[in-house]
Amino acid sequence: MMTDDVTIPVDVAPVEIAQERRTPSPTQRKVVFDIRDLAVTYGPTTAISGVDLEIYGNLITAFIGPSGCGKSTFIRSLNRMNDLVPGAKVDGQVLYHGQDIYGDGVDPVEVRRRVGMVFQRANPFPKSIYDNVAWGPRVLGMKKNLDERVEKALTRAALWDEVKDRLKKSALSLSGGQQQRLCIARAIAIEPEVLLLDEPASALDPIATAAIEELMHDLKDQYTIVIVTHNMQQAARVADMTAFFSLQVEEGKRTGILVEYENTDKLFTNPADKRTEDYVTGRFG
Amino acid sequence: MRTTFQEDLNLLESTLHEEGALVLRALRGALNALEQRDHELADEVIAFDDDVDQRYISIEEGVQTLLARQTPVASDLRLVLAILHVNLHLERMADYCVTIAKLSKLVPDVEPSPRFIEGFEEMGSRCEEMIRIALDSFANRDLEAAESLVTLDELIDRANRRVVERILELGEAQAMREYGLRMVLVSRSLERIGDHAVDIGEQVAYLLTAEFREFTDATHPTSRGS
Repeated sequence: MMTDDVTIPVDVAPVEIAQERRTPSPTQRKVVFDIRDLAVTYGPTTAISGVDLEIYGNLITAFIGPSGCGKSTFIRSLNRMNDLVPGAKVDGQVLYHGQDIYGDGVDPVEVRRRVGMVFQRANPFPKSIYDNVAWGPRVLGMKKNLDERVEKALTRAALWDEVKDRLKKSALSLSGGQQQRLCIARAIAIEPEVLLLDEPASALDPIATAAIEELMHDLKDQYTIVIVTHNMQQAARVADMTAFFSLQVEEGKRTGILVEYENTDKLFTNPADKRTEDYVTGRFG
Repeated sequence: MRTTFQEDLNLLESTLHEEGALVLRALRGALNALEQRDHELADEVIAFDDDVDQRYISIEEGVQTLLARQTPVASDLRLVLAILHVNLHLERMADYCVTIAKLSKLVPDVEPSPRFIEGFEEMGSRCEEMIRIALDSFANRDLEAAESLVTLDELIDRANRRVVERILELGEAQAMREYGLRMVLVSRSLERIGDHAVDIGEQVAYLLTAEFREFTDATHPTSRGS
C-alpha cells in the first residue's frame, strides 16, 4: 500500500531534463566589442552609419544582409582593416575590452594581432604549408617552440591529419577547402582572441563548407568568432547571435544600417522587425 | 558532418523518450490511485503532469528551432516531423492519466465487485505494454513491432467492452450509477491511451517508409503516400 510513502513507483531510470543548446542569457555574456554609433565613409559615400551593438566572447556572431549593405565594411572596422583603404574614415567608437581601437596611440598591428581575419578567397602565401603557419609567429618574435605552435594551430584548424606528412610542400597544392582551413590555422597561430571571417565558405563546395562550419563550432570555446555571410542558412546553422544589416535609401543616398540584432533562434523564428522578416523569408534582397 | 545538428536531433529524441518514461510513471500512479483509493497519490499524478508538459514544450521549441535553422531533409525531416507528432500523442496520454487520477478522487464510497478493478488492471497493463512497445519501436526503428500495436489495441478494446458490460450490471442505486458513470470514463481514457500508442506506431512506420498511412483505416485501405 502507498499510505506511508506516496512516491509513485517508477520502473524506469530517473529522468533528467535535457539541457537544450541555447545562446547564453544576456547576464552570462561577456562583452568583447562594444560598438557605439559607428559610421564608416569612403570619400563622399557613407557605407554604414549609426551602428550600435555589442559582440560577446566565445560566441559566433553572424552578419547577414543584402549585397552592399556594409557587412564587410563593418567587420573590417573591428581590426582596422579599413585603415588600408584610401579615403576611408571611421566615426564613433569601437571599444575592445573598453579601449577604443581608433584611440590615440593605438597600434593597428597590435589590434590585428588580437583580432585575426580570414577572407573570402583563401590567400595562402606561395610558400610551404609550414611556413604559412609559422610566418605570423616569426614576424611577431614568437619563435619559441615553433614546431609545436604550428602543429597546434593546424590541429585546431582540423587540418593536421591531412597535411602532417607534407608540411614542406607548397600551400598552393592544397584544395580550396584545405587552403581556407590553412588560412584559419595561420590566423590562430598567433593566438588572437577574436577571429573575423569574411564569407569564409562562399568559394567552397558544400563538403568543404560543412567542414568550415564544424570548425567554427569547435573553435568557439577558445575564440570569439565574427562571420559575415551571404548565406542566410549558414548564419542560421552556425551563429549564436545574428545581426541583420540593410540598406536605407534617403535622398538618393544608400547607407548600410543595422536593422536587428538578436539571438539566432529568435531572429529566424520570430524577428521583431518587418524588414528582417521579409529578408529571412526571402521576400526581399 | 553537421555534428551540431545531429546532436540537436539526438537531444530531441532523448527528451521524447524521457517524456515517454514519465507517461508510464503517470499511468502506473493513476492506476494505483484508482485501485487503492489513494487520493494523495492521485494528487501527485496530477501535479507530476507539469513534468510531462515541460518536456512537451521543450520538444515543440526544439523542433521549431531545428526547422528554422537546420532545414532538415529526407530521413532527418521525417524524424523531426515524427518527433513532433509523437510528442503530442505522449502529452495527450499524460492528460488521460490525469483524468483517471481526478476520477479516482470522485468515486463514491461503494465497494463494487473486485472484478472491476481486475478489468482496469488488465487494461492498464496492456496500455503500459503498448506504450513500451511504441517507444521501443521508435527507438529501434522497428516496423514490425510498431505494426504489432494494432493487435494489442484490439485486446484493450475488448477489455473496454467487458468493463462496460459489468457497469451495466451494477444496479440502479444512486451511488452505483454514479460509480458506473465515472468508471466508463476511466475505461474510455485507457482505451484512448491505447489508440495513441497505435498512432505512435504509425509515426514509426512513416519514419521508416515515408508513407502516411493509418494502420486500421478500413475505409481507406490504400496509403496516402506517393
